[in-house]
Amino acid sequence: METVDLARLQFALTAGAHFLFVALTLGLATLVAVIQTRATLTRSPVHLRMTRFWGQLYIINYAMGIVTGLVMEFQLGLSWSGLTEFAGNVFGSALAIETIVAFFIESTFLGLWIFGWNKLNRWAHLALIWVVTLTAHASAFWILISNGFLQNPVGYQLKDGVLRLTDFGALVANPAALIAFFHVGGGALIVGGFLMAGVSAYHLAKRTAEQDFFRKSLRLGIGVALPATLFTATFGGIGFQTLQPTKLAAWSGSANRLAEAQAEMAAKYGPGDYLPPLGWVHAGGITMLTLFAVLFFVAGVSFLLMLFRPVVRGFRPWHRLLTALIPVPFVTMIAGWIFREMGRQPWTVYGLLKTADAMSPVSSGQIRFSLTAFGTVFAVLILVNYWLLARTARKGPNAVTLGDRPLALGAPTLTF
Amino acid sequence: MEILILAFFALGYLVLAGADIGVGMVLPYLGRTAGERREAIAAIAPFFLGNEVWLVATAGVLAGLFPALEGSLLSGNYSLVVALVLSWVLRDMGLWLRGRLPGVRWQGFWDGAVVTGSWGLALSWGWLLSDVLLGIHGPIAVLPALLVAALFATHGLAFATLRLRGVLRARAAVLSGGAGEGRTYALTATALVAIGVLAGFRLPLAPGTSGALLVPVILTMIPFLVASQAWVWWTFRHRVSEPSYL
Repeated sequence: METVDLARLQFALTAGAHFLFVALTLGLATLVAVIQTRATLTRSPVHLRMTRFWGQLYIINYAMGIVTGLVMEFQLGLSWSGLTEFAGNVFGSALAIETIVAFFIESTFLGLWIFGWNKLNRWAHLALIWVVTLTAHASAFWILISNGFLQNPVGYQLKDGVLRLTDFGALVANPAALIAFFHVGGGALIVGGFLMAGVSAYHLAKRTAEQDFFRKSLRLGIGVALPATLFTATFGGIGFQTLQPTKLAAWSGSANRLAEAQAEMAAKYGPGDYLPPLGWVHAGGITMLTLFAVLFFVAGVSFLLMLFRPVVRGFRPWHRLLTALIPVPFVTMIAGWIFREMGRQPWTVYGLLKTADAMSPVSSGQIRFSLTAFGTVFAVLILVNYWLLARTARKGPNAVTLGDRPLALGAPTLTF
Repeated sequence: MEILILAFFALGYLVLAGADIGVGMVLPYLGRTAGERREAIAAIAPFFLGNEVWLVATAGVLAGLFPALEGSLLSGNYSLVVALVLSWVLRDMGLWLRGRLPGVRWQGFWDGAVVTGSWGLALSWGWLLSDVLLGIHGPIAVLPALLVAALFATHGLAFATLRLRGVLRARAAVLSGGAGEGRTYALTATALVAIGVLAGFRLPLAPGTSGALLVPVILTMIPFLVASQAWVWWTFRHRVSEPSYL
């Protein structure tokens, strides 16, 4: 493999792992905020326990999302200094805003939400989870503004071989970013909703004593997942109108359109191969659409089934199906991501900077070392994360430590 | 103004997260049993998320305000930065995962990850700072790197003295004595700031072209960021009296 391919593989593993974690984080955070609102308003014990149980799953996953995000942020400067030097004034602006306006507050308040449980006023504690949820979505927004710029560069001027930001409004109003933001946000709710429904179904199939707890959870999960599939599909459909001509041609697979797109690009940018990897783009798109159809169908049928309490309590084949479907939204998300990002190749900034020119002047040995190290860490992270999620989910609400009142070591004294 | 913003976040990171790194380094010394180690970790647990985010913000400021420097600084020190990020990930995994299962071996393993990751972070920072500050490369750079690592460890001990009580506090006070914990913390914090500032003077700090947009946004946000952090500091102003969630 060429060095640039190794660097691409390294970034793909990082962003792919991060995307999997983040999808669940965004979905679950929203659901936990809704449940905690209910718990705070009504002081209902079951909703309080639901907040702690689903919050625990959210935290396990969130921690893994953070560490992959760290690697991703630093990797831009590490392996892609050609991109930061050429487009950093535009692309980096959105990243800077993301860290200052969104992630800084999200992370600080999440710490307060976790460690301040039972210490803070319950309304303050509720406000924290909402700030965490809203800043998490704001974070996704600014990251997609950055990504949208790579897909469809707008609001810039090329001067002295470097881009500069000339129209911030255009950067933020970029359709390639905004449509993707709603599409991905909806997808995250599908991931979270199906996880909640699938875990609940697992316990209901085992005739759990926590009937009320998991019936409510299953209904919430499906109740969110069904509208989320419609929402996601709507923006996915609109998104097809913003695709680059080469991505569209690769998706169509038609030899005529491919030749046409290639000739058009060659006329514009000089000789070269301007088509993305056709197999990846096609497989990504097909997988996304097929699995979406499955999820939409199951969510629709489940929505009807969950209206009948005896069915929710006792219809085991349906329970087993919902549990088996937990991984499917993750695969759908990753397939969509491959479709979008592979389809942008051979460009890093579409029409402006090729991926091969975006790389840092680092050696193949350096990339091999970091690829091996990061690859190993991500493999461990993914395995440990899903194993712990499954274990915590299986043990049920009585084994949750989040929000527990630990034994005190003694009366508190002032530090300063 | 761009440079002051970068300095604000970078120095904030060194002082605040430096204490977390230091406590992680001396964890085997502070906590001789699993229970003691959990108590020692409770000293930093409520803070470390809000502390490490200062470095995330520093990297964001670099990306937006100093994009050329971001590329050359990170890719120019590729292996060091990779080691730094890997150590960071290892330390965080250790902190998050140690309490997930009850077993002694599980907790011992992840405590080991916390210690290894913290030492890795301290040494990578030391290596990177001595490279930028003194221009020392190669094996000899291990000497200034160890010096910086020792400073992080002392800073961590001072912070642990402020946060812990009883026998753990006495152990943490080994260098600062009974009453001088506040002064020791101020001293090590000043030393970290001084190293950071001196290293900053050696960097080619030429801002990019997005300052007109970003500087007002960041300056407007800073009071909110400080207020959110102050809320954390206020909530956890007491000495550790119970094990934390981790």
